[in-house]
Amino acid sequence: MDFLLSYLVLAEIYVLLGLSTNLLVGIVGIFSVSQAAVFGVGAYIVAFFLMNTSVSFLPALAVAAICCVVLNIVVTLPSLRVSGDYFVVTSFGIQLLATAVFTNWTGGTGGANGLPGIPPPDVFGIQLASNAQLALLTSIMAGLGCIAFWLLMRAPFGRLLRAIREDELAVAAAGKNVLRAKVSAAALAGAFAGVSGGLYATFLSFIDPSSFDLDASILLLTMVVVGGARTLAGSILGPFVLLALPQLLSLVEIPTTIAAAARQLVYGLLLIVFMLFRPQGLLGEKL
Amino acid sequence: MSAPYLHVSGINKRFGGLQALNDCSFTIREGAITCLVGPNGAGKTTIFNAITGFLRPDSGQVEFRGRRISGLSPQTIVAAGIARSFQNLRLFAEISALDNVLVGMRGQFGEEPLSALFRPLKTAHAQAARRITGREILDQVGLLAQADTLVRNLSYGEQKLLTIARLLATKADLLLLDEPASGLSAGALAALMALLRRLQSAGKTLLVVEHNTRVVQQIADDVLFLHQGHLMAQGTPEAIMADPALAEIYFGGALQDHGP
Repeated sequence: MDFLLSYLVLAEIYVLLGLSTNLLVGIVGIFSVSQAAVFGVGAYIVAFFLMNTSVSFLPALAVAAICCVVLNIVVTLPSLRVSGDYFVVTSFGIQLLATAVFTNWTGGTGGANGLPGIPPPDVFGIQLASNAQLALLTSIMAGLGCIAFWLLMRAPFGRLLRAIREDELAVAAAGKNVLRAKVSAAALAGAFAGVSGGLYATFLSFIDPSSFDLDASILLLTMVVVGGARTLAGSILGPFVLLALPQLLSLVEIPTTIAAAARQLVYGLLLIVFMLFRPQGLLGEKL
Repeated sequence: MSAPYLHVSGINKRFGGLQALNDCSFTIREGAITCLVGPNGAGKTTIFNAITGFLRPDSGQVEFRGRRISGLSPQTIVAAGIARSFQNLRLFAEISALDNVLVGMRGQFGEEPLSALFRPLKTAHAQAARRITGREILDQVGLLAQADTLVRNLSYGEQKLLTIARLLATKADLLLLDEPASGLSAGALAALMALLRRLQSAGKTLLVVEHNTRVVQQIADDVLFLHQGHLMAQGTPEAIMADPALAEIYFGGALQDHGP
């Protein structure tokens, strides 16, 4: 039961992060491979406040969300000048830069050793220590995230973003402000990533750079591709499927020394197989 | 005397070694259908880009209803009342015909994330009203039955009509059409010409790039003849067609092979 609850919590955290990635990559077509870095910044900020100050969880989460909004706008800005493949390279660089900072800024992030002992979240004076309580919190957060995503996509804003993905120049010719729409999308994606990072840090109580590196960004893209790009259902399904895989692998008799490598191997294979044979994922549209 | 409706004066634009626009100047009258003709590479699309803010000219200026618009963003120019179509259509292929039109509408509630998130009911209400307007626009160009069809499933002729519907959605008064008739069947061509006439009666001013001389003769009130980025002549279709020097440039001597 406890095991299922922690699976649920982690999957819901990744649903929020998947929505962030889906918004940028799937809907607007800004192919970012650095969303794990923004996720990490959210996690470190919340960890900092809870470990070093008397600020409670929700205000800390709000600060993390705001910082990630600003950060994600800044890291997405190059997409206004370079598009498509070129932005992937830029974004790759941003991800490497972030990993370098997470690993080497030992004063702030604990470096490669990470930050242990992050206290559990407290909401309105209640410490959420049990997995059931945490599951309630992440369910509410993920639920709100899904409602927000649904509202945005059915509004003219969602249509505008889809149109921008298809033909930016034609959107400008229709008299729309492409820059403002892209910055708005980046801001929203930043907020989603920041909140999910904060939840992640308090749920695991330990974070280190390996959760926020390039592998993590690729895992995130795999979740979006396997679940299905551009749809709410795909963003929900992807994390649940991908996070169930390590558990399934643990049922197979393999030495723990190669378990991590085997997991990466399966993720990589899944990404390739889906891109080749089912680019629309399980419940999505073709990326 | 009032200012001309659209006044283009002394536009120059150089791309590397190519002088795409060379002291290009002309005016167009309000309410007229003006056809822009000229051989390939004459600068027809380039002047469209310069008028609509997609290209910054090296020198020269564009005035619309007496207001200088050169140097403004495409967005501001659409708001001022000029909208353009593209030769290669540039429709949004993966969304419906109606959604293509709706993207073109200005000032929509819920087009920013905060209003979409926090005023969902008002957003939905506003959208319902917009969809009605969008269907009316599709009806005007004869595409009402295809409103919910994905654009990639429309025929080429239907897609061309849809580009005009998307322009109408902006409520611009001056429409710049880049080869709206090219590649159309005879039936679709007749429908298009009738549509352009209807738009003119409804008060729109049209500037149309057109290669088909028969189409030009049938719809144009004025013809602008562009050659090597410069306005060579302006006049009625009859006058322009009758000028042997222009025919020589336009057809490159091909006519003489078939002459008496």
